[in-house]
Amino acid sequence: MGNEWLVKAPLTINWALNNSCNFACRHCYSRVETGEELDGSTLRACFDKVAKLGVMAVNFGGGEPLLRADLLELASHAASLKMRVSMNSNGYLLDQAKALELKQAGFAAVGISLDSHEAAVHDRFRGVEGSHVRALAALGFLQGAGIRTSLSTVICTINQDSLDEIIALARQHGVSRLNLHNFKCAGHGLANKDELDLSPAQWQAFYRRALAAKERCGDLELSFDDPVISSLGLPTESSLVKGSVCGKLSLAIKANGDITPCGFIPVVIGNIVSDDLGEVWRNAPLLAKMRHKEPHGKCGTCDHYSDCLGGCSARALALTGDINSPDPHCWVEP
Amino acid sequence: MRRIQRNPDVLWREEDEQRDQARNALEQGDDAEDIATSLLFNNGVMLSLNILGTEIWKLCDGRTTEEIVAELLTCFEVEEDELSADVTAFLNELATKGFIRYGE
Repeated sequence: MGNEWLVKAPLTINWALNNSCNFACRHCYSRVETGEELDGSTLRACFDKVAKLGVMAVNFGGGEPLLRADLLELASHAASLKMRVSMNSNGYLLDQAKALELKQAGFAAVGISLDSHEAAVHDRFRGVEGSHVRALAALGFLQGAGIRTSLSTVICTINQDSLDEIIALARQHGVSRLNLHNFKCAGHGLANKDELDLSPAQWQAFYRRALAAKERCGDLELSFDDPVISSLGLPTESSLVKGSVCGKLSLAIKANGDITPCGFIPVVIGNIVSDDLGEVWRNAPLLAKMRHKEPHGKCGTCDHYSDCLGGCSARALALTGDINSPDPHCWVEP
Repeated sequence: MRRIQRNPDVLWREEDEQRDQARNALEQGDDAEDIATSLLFNNGVMLSLNILGTEIWKLCDGRTTEEIVAELLTCFEVEEDELSADVTAFLNELATKGFIRYGE
């Protein structure tokens, strides 16, 4: 399926319910957010709107969603609308009772963030002692409650050489998927980029190792969300769209209701409270630009452009000001 | 006789505009095979189905393969043997990917 196909609504919305967080992660994209948070009744009305349009899944984030006092009520409402409800959490506030409540509220899956297999490294990076132990314990509580779990690791300088150890930890703790997120230059991630981001050559080397590891992972699914990987020959037959899925299959909503193409592009294209999501989805100029990217710079002569479409638009925008610029992580020199 | 059920965990959605486009194409005698009219999403895996695939998917409600083929023959002008082979292969692919389940 090509780049031209426009689905009638996002499949998934990544929805920040709050800005507050109990952690201070050095790569966090959202710590700089200071806007207001929508109240529960407004959010529930918004869920009604998006479900009616055809959105099939909402993935709650933040901030830390578990800090939101009405999280269960919100999840229950979204699930009652037949949307798949999931969440990304640091896991610190999870215990057995909370996991059972999450299950009862309708959570189908919860992703727990983990930055290193070494507790000291993870805890230092997140600024909270004991967070590694509690993140791993959270996986057990969630699985015991019947909720599917995944681990999410943002690849950066502190963990690029620890892939095998992180995979081993994921297997040991029974998660069904390990999400290897590429580093985004947003929020603290942009401020700490020089210290945390990898060079293009390091990204290439990491992804070669990760693709090799994927082949021997068995039941554990390794998931990548980085379009630049297509130049390494990752099979794309199951992909519905080329390049990034942001703005083509998914959108992001901030805690104040502002709609952005993804959580890492700080350009507001509407507001879920005051605007018609269908209208925004169909007609926002930035989404049109992301769906019809043009090869700039080295992309103009690259054989891989038809698959990667220039890579991550968020990274290109953050570092060059132009979503059509080549992804700064790209190692290909055509 | 194996009865076929959609995996209840699969999220799916019909795309109205593409469905109408495919129907118009078929009415005019054109090929609609490459027009995706629905999306299926399960555990990180997404599939897009054309209009025939979508109709087969919608009929996976406890019917047998034979019953699905019989129903489709009332809607599509195709040879029964050819349709039966196509439906069987398609269902096997959906089963392999975990989108449907065979039961008794």
